[in-house]
Amino acid sequence: MYLVAHIDVDICAATSCRLCTQFCPEANTILYNTEAGKDRGLKYGSAYVAVDRCKGCAQCVWVCDNMAKHNAIKMEMIDQIGDQALTENLTYSEKNCTAVLASPVRG
Amino acid sequence: MSLDYVKFTPGFGKFMPKEYRDMVDHGPFGKKTTVSQVGSFKEIMEEHPMCAGCAMTLFIRLAVIAFPNPEDTITVGTAGCGRLAISQAAIQFVYGNYGDQNGVASGLTRGLRLRFGDKPKDVVVMAGDGGMADIGFAQTLHSWFRKEKFTTIMLDNEVYGNTGGQESGMTNQGQVLKMAPLGKKFEKMDMLGMAKVAGCAYVATVVPNNPRRVESVIKKAVLIAREIGPTYIQAYTSCNIEYAIPTEKVLEDCNVVEKDRYKFEEYMTDEAKECLSQLYGYKEYLPKPAKAVEQK
Repeated sequence: MYLVAHIDVDICAATSCRLCTQFCPEANTILYNTEAGKDRGLKYGSAYVAVDRCKGCAQCVWVCDNMAKHNAIKMEMIDQIGDQALTENLTYSEKNCTAVLASPVRG
Repeated sequence: MSLDYVKFTPGFGKFMPKEYRDMVDHGPFGKKTTVSQVGSFKEIMEEHPMCAGCAMTLFIRLAVIAFPNPEDTITVGTAGCGRLAISQAAIQFVYGNYGDQNGVASGLTRGLRLRFGDKPKDVVVMAGDGGMADIGFAQTLHSWFRKEKFTTIMLDNEVYGNTGGQESGMTNQGQVLKMAPLGKKFEKMDMLGMAKVAGCAYVATVVPNNPRRVESVIKKAVLIAREIGPTYIQAYTSCNIEYAIPTEKVLEDCNVVEKDRYKFEEYMTDEAKECLSQLYGYKEYLPKPAKAVEQK
């Protein structure tokens, strides 16, 4: 098994920095759902990771901890983080990208 | 090479892979997208085989996002790590045999201008320090002296990264590498100085720790090359493998190097400033009104 980035929606959706989306070396990997967290009163939406694209470099962790100072991203084992976003389940719309979550191990 | 090129033939869209459909329907083609919107639209660079955490990849990703008209852009590259990512973008890519990239781009630019006239077709060369400052040095310099209208971007990782770590002309003096065990004996080449002497209309250095700046620099370089003449960007894109930088420290290294030897520098001719202000609305380059002389 291997490590992938995992973003805490409750922390991320309380801010609007979006820095991790800009600093990931992989294209179409850290995406942004403007609706995430709104059901819990959080207003900004949240970044999330298409884990099948993540190479585990942890640059987003450094950016979130040191530049944004939000500490919202952690590296976690891919088989222990539950259902996640996968590229095949992404839906792009006008200025937004949502995902139906699925098991990254079983698909 | 045009907006129609990336669209599907009617009736065939449903047979195309999802990622291709997403790119056509929600990609940046024909739209004004910016780095600040990334994550909300389908990027035209795709999955690539570059190393995890590579700063060169980050820079290439940002550069592709910054192209003013991606549907009318052709990239030219050569051997080296960078082309592994550049060729994974849904932009026409031409491979110049090692060192030939600026010669190939010269012919391509002239041909496109003959064929399409004033309709903008941007050519952008992206190659490594070895391909540009060593093996392709003559062709790079001559394309600048000839005032060829395209953008040259050096992906400067200061080493031959994918052949085992040999020194390049852009490696720093004294640097010890796997295949340079005694340390490099000569200074890093001053390609920025040579670009200015050779007549580039726009010259800039950039480090990918500032995505907005990368975007700004690339846009200006492409627009100036379209109208005025050659432009050159030198980007620090560390090799975390050969320089043994842990992937989570790559951006920290960018910050250190930027403060040390890669400070942001931007040079632009007056003609280029006039072009940006008159044709593309860059108000900061409008001539400043002369101050009224105080009467005593």
